[in-house]
Amino acid sequence: MPAFRLSRRALLRGAGSVAVALPWLEAMGPTPSAHAQSGSLAQRFLAVYQPGGTVLDRFRPSGGETDFTLSPILSPFQPIVDKLLIVENLDMASAVGEQHQAGIVALLTGTPQNQQRGGFAGGPSIDQVLAKRVGAGRPRASVEMAIRWATGKSHGLLHPINSMTFADDATYSPISPRLNPAEIFDSLFGNLDEDSSAGENVAVTRRASILDYLDRRYETLSQRLGAADRVKLEEHLDRVREMEEGLQALADLETSSCSPPTLVDTSDYNPQSGLNADDNGAIVDQSSDAAIPKVGKLMMDMMVTAMACDLTAVGTLQWSDTEAKHTFPWLGLSEHHHYYQHDGGFRPEECAQIATWYSEQHAYLLQQMDAVQIGDHTLLDESVVFFGSELQDPPTHTKNNMPFLLAGGGGGLRGGRRLRFANQSHNDLLLSILHLFGDERSSFGAPQYSSGPLAGLA
Amino acid sequence: MSAAPPGSTPARTPDACANGIHPGRSPLRRLTRFEYNNTVRELLGNASSPANSLPPELLGNGFGNDADEQPTSSFLAEQYGVVAAEVASAALASPTVAERYAPCINSTTQADEAQCAETFIGSFASSAFRRPLLPEDTEALTHLQQQVRAVSTFEDSLAAVIEAVLQSPDFLYRVEHGEVDASNPELRRPSGREMAARLSYFLWGSMPDEELALAADSGQLQTADGVREQAARLLDDPRSRRVVEYFFDHYLPMNTLGDLSRDPAQFPTFSNRIGQLMRQETRNFLQYQIFDGPGSWDSILTAPYTFVNQELADFYGIDGVTGDEFQRVDTDPSRRLGLLTQGAITVGTTISNFTNPVRRGGFLLRHILCVHVPDPPPEFADDATPPDPYSGATGRERYSLHSEQAECAGCHALLDPPGFALENYDAVGLWRDQENGVTIDASGNLPGLGGAFSGPIELIEQIAASPQTHACFAEHWATFAYGRDLGAADACTIAEVEDAFARAGHDVKQLLIQLTQTDAFLYLPAPNSEETL
Repeated sequence: MPAFRLSRRALLRGAGSVAVALPWLEAMGPTPSAHAQSGSLAQRFLAVYQPGGTVLDRFRPSGGETDFTLSPILSPFQPIVDKLLIVENLDMASAVGEQHQAGIVALLTGTPQNQQRGGFAGGPSIDQVLAKRVGAGRPRASVEMAIRWATGKSHGLLHPINSMTFADDATYSPISPRLNPAEIFDSLFGNLDEDSSAGENVAVTRRASILDYLDRRYETLSQRLGAADRVKLEEHLDRVREMEEGLQALADLETSSCSPPTLVDTSDYNPQSGLNADDNGAIVDQSSDAAIPKVGKLMMDMMVTAMACDLTAVGTLQWSDTEAKHTFPWLGLSEHHHYYQHDGGFRPEECAQIATWYSEQHAYLLQQMDAVQIGDHTLLDESVVFFGSELQDPPTHTKNNMPFLLAGGGGGLRGGRRLRFANQSHNDLLLSILHLFGDERSSFGAPQYSSGPLAGLA
Repeated sequence: MSAAPPGSTPARTPDACANGIHPGRSPLRRLTRFEYNNTVRELLGNASSPANSLPPELLGNGFGNDADEQPTSSFLAEQYGVVAAEVASAALASPTVAERYAPCINSTTQADEAQCAETFIGSFASSAFRRPLLPEDTEALTHLQQQVRAVSTFEDSLAAVIEAVLQSPDFLYRVEHGEVDASNPELRRPSGREMAARLSYFLWGSMPDEELALAADSGQLQTADGVREQAARLLDDPRSRRVVEYFFDHYLPMNTLGDLSRDPAQFPTFSNRIGQLMRQETRNFLQYQIFDGPGSWDSILTAPYTFVNQELADFYGIDGVTGDEFQRVDTDPSRRLGLLTQGAITVGTTISNFTNPVRRGGFLLRHILCVHVPDPPPEFADDATPPDPYSGATGRERYSLHSEQAECAGCHALLDPPGFALENYDAVGLWRDQENGVTIDASGNLPGLGGAFSGPIELIEQIAASPQTHACFAEHWATFAYGRDLGAADACTIAEVEDAFARAGHDVKQLLIQLTQTDAFLYLPAPNSEETL
């Protein structure tokens, strides 16, 4: 059984306090070489979504590939710029459909909206492709989280307006993100808290027995159904098998120096708030909106810890959805994000202020990943982190010159640079990311938008 | 893209139902959160709505129960386990719940616990699976119970059984193997127990009761008349009311009513509390109309009365109502007539301090008349935003651009007239004759409806008189009842339902019963036809 053992009671004692820097920061050793992993394949993938695009003339750095000055919106990345790769002048050509929905649907899939499938994707998202590749042997193949999600007319339901990740199977089904920070904490870290190894064995045996029953039952029954219904139960069976593998992986998990983040009190945050959302943001959940920075930090901390503890190797984090009908009281912005994008007329000042705040959050995430030491390198060094939005320019919904960022050193990715392309399709970026993980396919997403990998990332 | 005016949907082929039985598709359905919650309430006395912590359904057919839109994410599969563990633990903490399935449970000794476990499994699992157990079911669950018992307590081993059952496909999915129809050997129909579940999930949103199971086992559900008889019984049970409420909560713009805010300077008497009362008003009104009153969709659309309590009556300016209880009051029929003039509709379709005729008109067209109006073409989408609220004295002036621009006029000739007709109701649903000192012109003409109307009341009367309205209502119910989007293969079913609805004087309960009498409800598609239909 794992030597890595956490006491839930000890964790809960931290509830209510303000989260502090992750504990391993204290034990941080000397900074490893950013290129420690150069030449070897990327091990972890994280995609982070920010709604509403950017303000391009305040986003673009100035200067050359390596001797550039960060723009106002990107300035928060200064401390981690050596591991940041600004990927400029790519177009999201495959984003065909409704102007916001098509953007988020294509972001990680490179496919137009599929009107035969409820307006969702026509292919898998790269995180799910990579989960199959590098997720094996971990308790969870991937972890999807979202903050202040499904705010608008989807009324809290899964909808093309809020869906970013899609299954890597024949269905390309949208995957609902986890929303409730306390539940996420419990499901990610709560299994590791048994006080005695005997107790833990009981829990593992018990879970394994139930999963074994389900495995057999889903398999037996699915074989007795017609083809269309069988697909449905087989999909469920796949998920059961994932849980069985995850349980085994958890039991096999070797000792680690990590510990979970501090669980802050999030009782003022309603993760289901979208259910009471309104099409144009007329309904404001002030308490949940005000809790976004705190909850977002906890989500990021949990994601980093899940990776650091080897609980998963693939994650996605969504800041809201493409409607972004929530306010930013901590920035003094009392209207919702979409209002500043175009509902209230384009407000570049406010949009830039919001984009800069998201940069700060993402810079924090990257720094946390870079503070996790794994042998002679950091978690960030063996990862590829993608940061993107569903569009570039808020008022026009233009999807050329997308504000994409990569970070990390996985697969030899080289940071500290800005790369300017010639308006190739972003499918080629998705394809290049797959190549960093050793998936050498020649095309990704809708083939008409994919011409080949981009040069110069590694 | 063009919008078809009301009444111009492709004529149904008169022989839609010729050439035999047309069951349409019958994809495997999974319990929704609403159905899961109801089921564990009846199965295990758990009234905590535990399924609310499952990830949300896909919007799908608009009711969140679309069988074609029920993927299984890792998160969902995992969360089923979390919810099942909560339910199991609560069930075993209550002495009466477990005893219901195995009276031996609280007095068992080591010597007889294996037998008690067998009793519990046999009784609980067959209730949860909505069918008698097969030997393989008993064997698998007993094996699980023994495995857990070897490392844990007896009670915990039963908890594990409950958790496994609640995650089993036999519980979560409405499995229908079907059987050969005795009178038409070339056809398949749901087995008796499968039909019992069809009935109970449609009309109660929950598992069958004992009487339904008995009816199934006695062969009563093998005939359309037997199904009809049970459907009528289920509709007379209070459990059917929650399904009707669920339907209308999704069919009407009632989701946001409890959370609306308005500018207190402009609307000093409105608060989100009034919005909640408006939702209560419409729920009470619908329950009365359908279950206790005249019962027809026409009467719902044109009733010259509503249900208010004192607080809401004061808001509307209705005299003579005291107390918190909702009571029936007559409305001024020149100003308020039926459902569509209630606050739930006029306020639920208004999302700011200003009325939006396009939104209101769009609701009436899409939901009440089933006229497909496409979204603005992408090249206009950016401009298709509400006008400056101060650009004109009245809604008609502010939204005049539509009729002036040829690209917009096509759709807005349909969208705007019904919206303008409701301009007599302000952003909080109160009657107004004027806006900004200008008399509101609520007249119009909706192509394909009943000719010119002078204002909201005549529009409502035209809507209530239109066969399109009733066909639309029946189609929404069919979509909800069958848990999928209806397609070309359902032409016969739709025609049958619409005809029967008309023959029944548009009685809503009769419509619900008729939905159990269609080929789609009574039969299953041939085994190999599923992919092609």
